[in-house]
Order: sequence, then structure tokens, then C-alpha cells
Amino acid sequence: MSLNAIETSGLTKVYSSSFGKRKVEALNDLNLTVTGGMIFGLLGPNGAGKTTLIKLLLGITFPTKGSAKIMGEDTADYKFKSKIGYLPENHKYPSYLTGGSVLQFFGKLSGMDGAGLDKKIDEMLELVQLSKWKKTKVKAYSKGMMQRLGLAQAMMNDPELIFLDEPTDGVDPIGRKEIRDILIELKNKGKTIFLNSHLLSEVEMITDRVGILNKGKLLREGTVKELTEKKEEYKISIEGDSIEKLPSELILKINFRKMDNEYYSFKVENTQELNNTLDILRNNGIIIKEMVQQKNTLEDMFISLIKEAEKENVQ
Amino acid sequence: MKNIWILTWYTLKEALARKVFIFFFAISLLAIIITAVIFALSSNLSITAGGMKNLPFDDPVTMIEMAIVSPLSSLCLLLAIFSCASFVPIMLEKGNIDLLLSKPISRDHLLWGKYFGGILVVLLNIAFLVISIWLIISIKFSIWNFSFLTIIISVTFTFAVLYSLMILFGILTKSSTLGMMMTYFVFIILSPLLFTIKDKFFTMIASSFIRTIVDIFYYIIPKTSELLGKITTELVSGKSIGNYQPVLTSLAFLILTMGISISIFRKKDF
Repeated sequence: MSLNAIETSGLTKVYSSSFGKRKVEALNDLNLTVTGGMIFGLLGPNGAGKTTLIKLLLGITFPTKGSAKIMGEDTADYKFKSKIGYLPENHKYPSYLTGGSVLQFFGKLSGMDGAGLDKKIDEMLELVQLSKWKKTKVKAYSKGMMQRLGLAQAMMNDPELIFLDEPTDGVDPIGRKEIRDILIELKNKGKTIFLNSHLLSEVEMITDRVGILNKGKLLREGTVKELTEKKEEYKISIEGDSIEKLPSELILKINFRKMDNEYYSFKVENTQELNNTLDILRNNGIIIKEMVQQKNTLEDMFISLIKEAEKENVQ
Repeated sequence: MKNIWILTWYTLKEALARKVFIFFFAISLLAIIITAVIFALSSNLSITAGGMKNLPFDDPVTMIEMAIVSPLSSLCLLLAIFSCASFVPIMLEKGNIDLLLSKPISRDHLLWGKYFGGILVVLLNIAFLVISIWLIISIKFSIWNFSFLTIIISVTFTFAVLYSLMILFGILTKSSTLGMMMTYFVFIILSPLLFTIKDKFFTMIASSFIRTIVDIFYYIIPKTSELLGKITTELVSGKSIGNYQPVLTSLAFLILTMGISISIFRKKDF
């Protein structure tokens, strides 16, 4: 899919109190583009504006300024919603409905009908492993089952773009893995997934691109690799105690830092310097078993970025 | 239109599931049983062509029906308001409205679906109650006054007017209690009070300013007293409606209230 799935331009949302005295800027001049066929993860602390962004994109809330397009269509027209699926955080289904009738209701509202709808209900329940619970009222469902039903509901109309707000909330580790697998399968089918999650490790595992939102502002956006890479810092594993063969002035020059066991790290300015360093090590009889570019975890990067932003705000 | 029908149908299911419909049905059934028992015990109350001559009424069946009309229609409306008050506030709950608004359905249709759903719940229950009582009376006296069935229309219309007010309050406050209180206030206090002032004491008011104020309120507020009183009586007795003003001004209130509700709902953030 070449079309941009999501495009926002100067999207701003300011909430006012009842008498307009207190204003809260939930989203500030957000420009974001999510291309089709990827899993995009939106991260941010509580109150960062993540849910507000989804609500603005879905026309549940209206922007104070700016505009948004979904699959090239203006979000002001509700008809674009036939191409999207949504699993809200803390979603509520009418307790008198069964799992099957929840899917039937929302399927009908999405324009589905007849035998096609019945077939799709069975297919979706099978996918989220709730077939046995089809005729059970949702009030008897556990949190994890509700999440899986929510995911099925979001996929009922075979959407091009799926918004998921904390989809694995309350789901056990096996269930989380199953949900991740479903999301990856959807991506492989060309669907776009917009994911809000607090579980950074999970986001790191499946997303292609990540955006970090804090206090309504997009702080960073890029691939997980781009965001987590420590430029020109490498970790090497050296055989035995061969490091001792290296003259101490060279150890100082290269600025080796011992990590654990046979692992050492060093920093270089550029690729040429990296190669020069490797040449020095080899020429001194050091056997390199492994070399990897150093990375932050998404969590490390997220925390440091939010802290930096907080500091800037204080200053 | 299809989406309105889906929502209407699911509102009916919601009423059934939340025992609202069953409660309404049970009360109606009780009223029917009491009526049936009264008529069954009153074995001497048989109106035949000959017997009618001994009664002081031109049409005694209509008179009996008339005696039932007022309490019956009031009971229907009280139950109807109670049973439908929470439809809109529940729809607007967080986690519920988000899902509904994420579907390809216009906000107007969403509101109309809930509106017609409430009316359908009330219509079915009122039809059950009124038709049952009509059958009891008709079988008992072997006189079939089809005009009695017009109570269904007048009560449903009165409910439709008041329900528009409940919807407006539901959207503004997300509270079923406030909507219900306001509607009961209009139905039980305000409308009868304004009607009585206008009908009995209007000429006694010396101040033209106060008369204007009373007039404004009288014409704005739905005329439930007249709709369930004079107009229903006229319809049940087979006469044509003498004065359409209460119907038209109440209809105008309905249109205006729904218009305001839709306008607010279209722009509301959730």
C-alpha cells in the first residue's frame, strides 16, 4: 500500500473547562505521517495525548486546529470509518450480549450482513480463540477474553487500518504472544496497525516505526533501530585473555571499557576509525569472536527522552 | 436508514435484557388482570340493547372506557419515562460511545436510533396494555369501540415529546436521573399547572406582563395534560379533535428539542 494511512497537519486539541477558565493542551501542532502496511507504535507517559490523538483521528473528538486524513480521506466525513477498526482502552460491550452477538452488532454497524457476516463472526472468534464462548454473555468474560473479543470486533470489517489502544492490557503472556502474532499476520496482509501501548518491550518487538509523545508534542519518530541505536559504539567479544597482549597505551587510546566476561566496549568517530581500531586489534594478535553495534532498549531511550523533555520544560 | 433500524432494534433488545421491558410488561399485565377480574366479578354489568336503556349514558361502554383512559394513559406514561430514561446516558458512557462513533454511522443516525428504539419499547408495551383492556371490555359487552385503541397513538405521541426532552438532558448531563426528574416535572407538575392557569385563572391575572409570561411558558412546554386528557378523550369517544393547538405546539417542541440535541451531539467531544 503506497497511500499514507494517516496524515496529520498541525493537529491541535485544547480542552476547556466548563466555563472556559482552565485550558489543557492535549495535543500541540502534531504533524505525523504513517505510511500504509506497517505497525506504528505510539508511546508516551500517561496524559501524553495518545488516546486524544486516536480519538481525533476517528472523529470521536474534534480538533481545535489542524486537520487529519485517514487513507487519504478527511476525518470530518464519517464514511471513512468503513475502512478502519478500533479497539479502545477500557471498552465496554453491552453486558446482555454474547460474544457472537457483540460481533454481529458491530459487524452490522460496519455495513455487513447476511451469511457473510455469520461466516466472518465464526472466523474472527476462531482467530482469537473464543469460538467456545460464542454463546456466552460477555459479562462472564475475563479481562483477557474481553481484549481478544475487542480485537475480533476491530477486525470484523476487514479494515485497512486498525487502531489498538492497549490491546494486551490484562492479557496473560501466552495471550499477548498470540495477539502479537495476529498483528504481525495482519501486517503481512498489508494492513496498517496503529498501536498505543505502555508495554515498551512489546512495542519494540513488533513495530516498524515508533512515535514518542509527551505533553501533546511529538518528541521523536523513527524506526525502532533508529531510535535505539547508539551511534558508533560497539561491543566486542575477545577470545581468552588476549586483551592483555595489547599495549596499555593502545588500550587507553582506543578507550576500552570492560563490560562483563570477555566483552569490551569502545567508541569511534566514524567507520574509518572503526576499521583502524579493528586493524590495531588484529595486528596485536587479538582474536575477535563477535562484534555488535551497541543499542539502547526502547525503554532506556524512552525514559531518557522523557526526562530530557521534563528538564527542558523546567528550564 | 439501515443503521437507524439496527440501533432501534438493539435498543429494544437492551430494554429486554435490562428487565425494563419485563417490568413494564409485568405492571401492564397486573393492570389487565385487575381489569379482567373486576369485569368478571361484575356479572350484572351486562350491556345489551335493552339494558342500555336503563343506564344514564348514551354509550355506556365508552363511558366505562373513558373512566379507564385517564389512569391508564398516566400509568403508561409514568412507566414509559422510567423505562427509557437510561438509554442515552448508557450509550454515552466511556468505552461504549467510543466504539459506536468508530463505526461508519453518522451521529444523527445514532441518536435517532436510540430515539426510535425508546419509542418502540413504549409503543409495544402500550399496545399490549391497551389492546388487552380493549379486548376485555369489548368481549364483556360485545361492543367493539375501535376508537379506544387511539390511546396507543396519543400516549405514544406524548411519550415521544417527553422522550425528546430526556434525550436532550441525557446528552447535556449524561445522567438518567436528571433527565427523568426533569421529564416527570414537566409531565406531572409544569404542564398541568400551566394548563390550569391558562384554562381557569388566566382572565383573573391583572398584569399583562405575567399573562405574557404564562402564555410563553404555556406554548413552549409540551401539553401533556391536554394530550392525555381532552384530546385522548375526544379520540376515544370517536370525535374529531376540537383544537389541534396542543398537538402542534407539542410537536414543535419535539422537533425543536431533537434539533437542539442533534446539534449538540454532532459537535460534542467524547
